Amino acid sequence: MTPPSVRRILGEAGPGRGLGTTAAVLYTLFIALPVLALLVRAAQQESFLSSLVSDLALTALRLSVVTSLISMAVVIAVGTPFAYLLARSNSPVLRVLDSLVELPIVLPPVVAGVAMLMAFGRQGILGPPLESVGISLPFTTAAVVFAQIFVGVPFYVRAAKLGFQNVARDYEDVSQTLGVSPWWTFWRLTLPLSMPSLLTGLALAWARALSEFGATIMFAGNLTGKTQTMPLAIMTAMESSLDTALALSVMLMVGAVAILLALSFLVRRQYAGRS
Amino acid sequence: MTKGWVDCQIGDFRLEVDWSIEPGEVLALFGPSGAGKTTTLRAIAGLLRPQQGHIEIAGSPVYDDATRLWVPAHRRRVGYLAQQYHLFPHLNAAQNIGYGLRRWARTAAAERVGGLVRALQLDGLEERRPDELSGGQQQRVAIARALAPGPDVLLLDEPFAAMDVELRRVLRRELRSVLANSPIPVMLVTHDREETLAMADSVQVIDQGKAIAQGGPLETLGQPGQGRVARLVGVENLFHLTVESRNPQDGTMICAGGGLRIEVPLDEPAPTAAQGRTCGERVAVGIRASDIILAHQEPVGTSARNRLPGAVTSVEPSAPGYEVTLDCGQPLRCRITSASLEEMAIQPGSTLWAVFKASSCFIVQDPPQ
Repeated sequence: MTPPSVRRILGEAGPGRGLGTTAAVLYTLFIALPVLALLVRAAQQESFLSSLVSDLALTALRLSVVTSLISMAVVIAVGTPFAYLLARSNSPVLRVLDSLVELPIVLPPVVAGVAMLMAFGRQGILGPPLESVGISLPFTTAAVVFAQIFVGVPFYVRAAKLGFQNVARDYEDVSQTLGVSPWWTFWRLTLPLSMPSLLTGLALAWARALSEFGATIMFAGNLTGKTQTMPLAIMTAMESSLDTALALSVMLMVGAVAILLALSFLVRRQYAGRS
Repeated sequence: MTKGWVDCQIGDFRLEVDWSIEPGEVLALFGPSGAGKTTTLRAIAGLLRPQQGHIEIAGSPVYDDATRLWVPAHRRRVGYLAQQYHLFPHLNAAQNIGYGLRRWARTAAAERVGGLVRALQLDGLEERRPDELSGGQQQRVAIARALAPGPDVLLLDEPFAAMDVELRRVLRRELRSVLANSPIPVMLVTHDREETLAMADSVQVIDQGKAIAQGGPLETLGQPGQGRVARLVGVENLFHLTVESRNPQDGTMICAGGGLRIEVPLDEPAPTAAQGRTCGERVAVGIRASDIILAHQEPVGTSARNRLPGAVTSVEPSAPGYEVTLDCGQPLRCRITSASLEEMAIQPGSTLWAVFKASSCFIVQDPPQ
């Protein structure tokens, strides 16, 4: 006999519950063990705190924060109107674009980096014309931003499109019959109503941009203070100083957990608002 | 005067209607779903652009295909109330009402909202979110929101369709009393006959994109003169009969066919036949199921001209009440309450008398199909 309290936790008996429970335990251990190991090992390091404020760590942190903030500004500025168009238009061209939006999500980041080199690199399609006006993108901080936008923007566009689609057209119609222009209708009605979705998408895009590695190292390289973001700094530090690598890893993980918590809070608020 | 006509083609559907509404008048666009009622309303609101047409709101043109005039929805000064009220979920009741007052001075807007809150008895609910309001309160907020900017015309698209019968009656009465004190012309889209009779000053019947009848609600829907309208309105009994004899003194005539023989009002002379209908001519006669009285014995000493015996062939629930079909030569459908059904113990097979006045019958223009 299972005590009632345990039954409450595990739910009512059903087919395959034993299997499900086993899988849940394995799953939790598999995810939790490395996370805990990272924290425990970092705490054991004597010079952990000094590593947190080491030059390498702080420089990488500053670069990651600055580049990802710029990336997110671009993602919002371009992704929002594009997502709105995708949500509202039935044009066949946009249908095709819509299905391609998620391409960067499935594309291996290294491939994305190579592709960006082929577009903007010295031997790339746009390389020579850009160079003729004195612009060279590869291995610059701008390239870091390019890579982050490339991998992050689909998460935002996808979430924003769904958010806009959830705001029924009829609301916008009613707003316009009340004398509010389409532009103001967007600001006063559509945007606030889809805000939870936009923030969720932004959090995902930001997390993806912060963790970006493959495309960055291909397209932007690994130059301290210029293109060496936190994930690249971790890779570099692993060769010399485990302390610094652990410190940076903990920082990134805390950032990721913060984003995750903010996300679940937003999603809960979204559902509370709808019921 | 708010008037206009539109002609638009949407796929295979062609809409051609015209309308005009006096200040303070409620015009109902009555018709089945898919008739083009909502399309017409959306064209007036500026939410849909017809290929051709001319639309005037309060005397000023807002659309004209000839001059390429098109005033966008937010500059048309229309109040639009749809079936789902679409109250903005992120705003409370007062903010919803004041939504269209963006350009107003703050104090003037607050005064306007306060006035509407009092007029629609929403006091104390100003801070509530839409999902914290009852269906009736939501409707009142939606009406207040539509009226707040002072529209030149109010467009109502089946505003009660989502409600149950009881609430619908209450809300209809409320809306009617709000509108009674306003000079705003109203166009009401509905497929509900009762709603049209309760709300409208005049009615226009639309079917398959065409206006097929118009006039006062009682004349147009109560005893519809066209077969198509009669079917749309739901006239339960429609018989094709032959004129047997005419009695101009009483203003009636006897019609018969298929075993049925009834006395009906003498029809007005048709323009083509100055002498009125000749004997032997075919006519279509409509009788509403609710205008028929059922009795166990043949009533004596009654003024009703039609008393027909018939066996009950079916008893069907038809809210609110029952529909009893008698075989009087042709099936005759009669509507009674459930209390009557119980008292009279009506069952299929029992013989009853159907009683109705000649004036309950009406001639319908219904060319044989």
